[in-house]
Amino acid sequence: MPRIIYHNGTAEPNVVEAADGTSVMRAAVANDVPGIVGECGGQAMCATCHVYVRAEHLDLLPEMSEDEEEMLECTAAPRDEKRSRLSCQIVPGPGLDPIEVDVPADQI
Amino acid sequence: MTTDVTGARPIPTDDQVTIPALFDDPYPIYRRLRSHAPVHWIPAVNRYMVIGYHACRTVERDQERFSADETNSLMKRSMGHSMLRKDDPEHAVERASYGGVLRPKAIKNHWRAVFDHNARTYLDRLREIGPGADLIRDFAAPYAAENLRVIMGFYEATQQDMQRWSQTMIDGTGNYADDPEVWRMAKESSDEVDEAIDRALPYLRSHPDDSLLSRLADLPVPLESIRANMKMTIGGGLNEPRDALGTTVWALLSDPDQRALVAADPARWSDAFEESVRWVAPIGMYPREATRDTELDGFHVPAGARLGVVVGAANRDPEVFTNPDRYDIDRPKQPHLAFGGGEHFCAGAWVARSSVAQVALPMLFDTLPRLRLDPERPARAGGWVFRGMRTLPVLWD
Repeated sequence: MPRIIYHNGTAEPNVVEAADGTSVMRAAVANDVPGIVGECGGQAMCATCHVYVRAEHLDLLPEMSEDEEEMLECTAAPRDEKRSRLSCQIVPGPGLDPIEVDVPADQI
Repeated sequence: MTTDVTGARPIPTDDQVTIPALFDDPYPIYRRLRSHAPVHWIPAVNRYMVIGYHACRTVERDQERFSADETNSLMKRSMGHSMLRKDDPEHAVERASYGGVLRPKAIKNHWRAVFDHNARTYLDRLREIGPGADLIRDFAAPYAAENLRVIMGFYEATQQDMQRWSQTMIDGTGNYADDPEVWRMAKESSDEVDEAIDRALPYLRSHPDDSLLSRLADLPVPLESIRANMKMTIGGGLNEPRDALGTTVWALLSDPDQRALVAADPARWSDAFEESVRWVAPIGMYPREATRDTELDGFHVPAGARLGVVVGAANRDPEVFTNPDRYDIDRPKQPHLAFGGGEHFCAGAWVARSSVAQVALPMLFDTLPRLRLDPERPARAGGWVFRGMRTLPVLWD
């Protein structure tokens, strides 16, 4: 059960134990983590599960698909060239357990 | 996954609801129902209507319990079995067949210029017709139809063909009264679309371009699926941007304060559009079928139950949207359900946003700054499964 830590500004972070194979977006939606919408259910189609991944994980993230790259140009909060990802495209696992992400102020 | 249904309450029945009343104005009905329960059995529409925001979200995110593959679907009869009435994994394969055609990069590289051109063309025609023109018939409808025609690659058809195909097949999808004349017209259009596809595919194989049919021409997708998906796309791809455009114009012409907010800051066209589809969702209801005995927001849904996911009602749930009946582009942002959610999230969402909010609305209001409603001929909205302006007579100087 990989651990995902979602930081939402000032409050205590939300910590979720996700089932194996569950994306950072799905784990957030299933556990009512605020600030992650995930309208399209994980197809890299809606840009509403945007997160800023903490620096220590960046080298271990999966490569970005063309669809994700395109969608990150459509996010409500500003894109960070290094840290912005769609959380539906990230599945925690070896090297990414725990994984810490910052949730942007806006998704829509 | 199993769901415990012990203790779940029976779903209440409401036999006061009538289809003509829903067509005229569904929102007071939803308001009344909502005060009792988030889901009701409505004999007049032969469905359980799911009207609560939370309940709608639950249904659209759980295809294991709530299948899109409805038994005796009128849409399947009218348009064939499209991806809209399939679950994953079958749905995902067909969805992937659309590739990037409707996504932001293709819009930026190809379709945005088409939208600009078409908006200018139909605005010029609107001005030729002159004050008193109907903004739906004379601008929103041909604009949406021509955009869709080019994106799909129906080069031998006209925008009028697209409008006729769309309306008659959608009428079939909603033919609960089983009117044979409605079926005859839907079948005629369905046959015409099949012929148009049969002609287009060989041409596009030898003259490939960026259109949807060109992409499909080279993929191993069965012809039957291509046909059904094209018909679904003709339905959803035309009425929805047309109605989003019409409703937004009506809302802004009806409320000078809201119009002033947009006029002062063009960046707000996006808010004007999103609030419009929240306020009056162009697709107000879509079907699902319960795959098992299950529980929804504390209520017992029997196996095989035919559900209507009423996003038009969910978008006005006061638990989520304060003062929900008001059109207010300044309201706190909350995700609306107008594009649906989960696997069936609207594939044309970005096309609608670009063609309506980035192109047509700004160009219309810039070109006709004195655009206003015609006090002699009132605008009229209608519909509940599909809702939009039926007529929108306008004046300008």
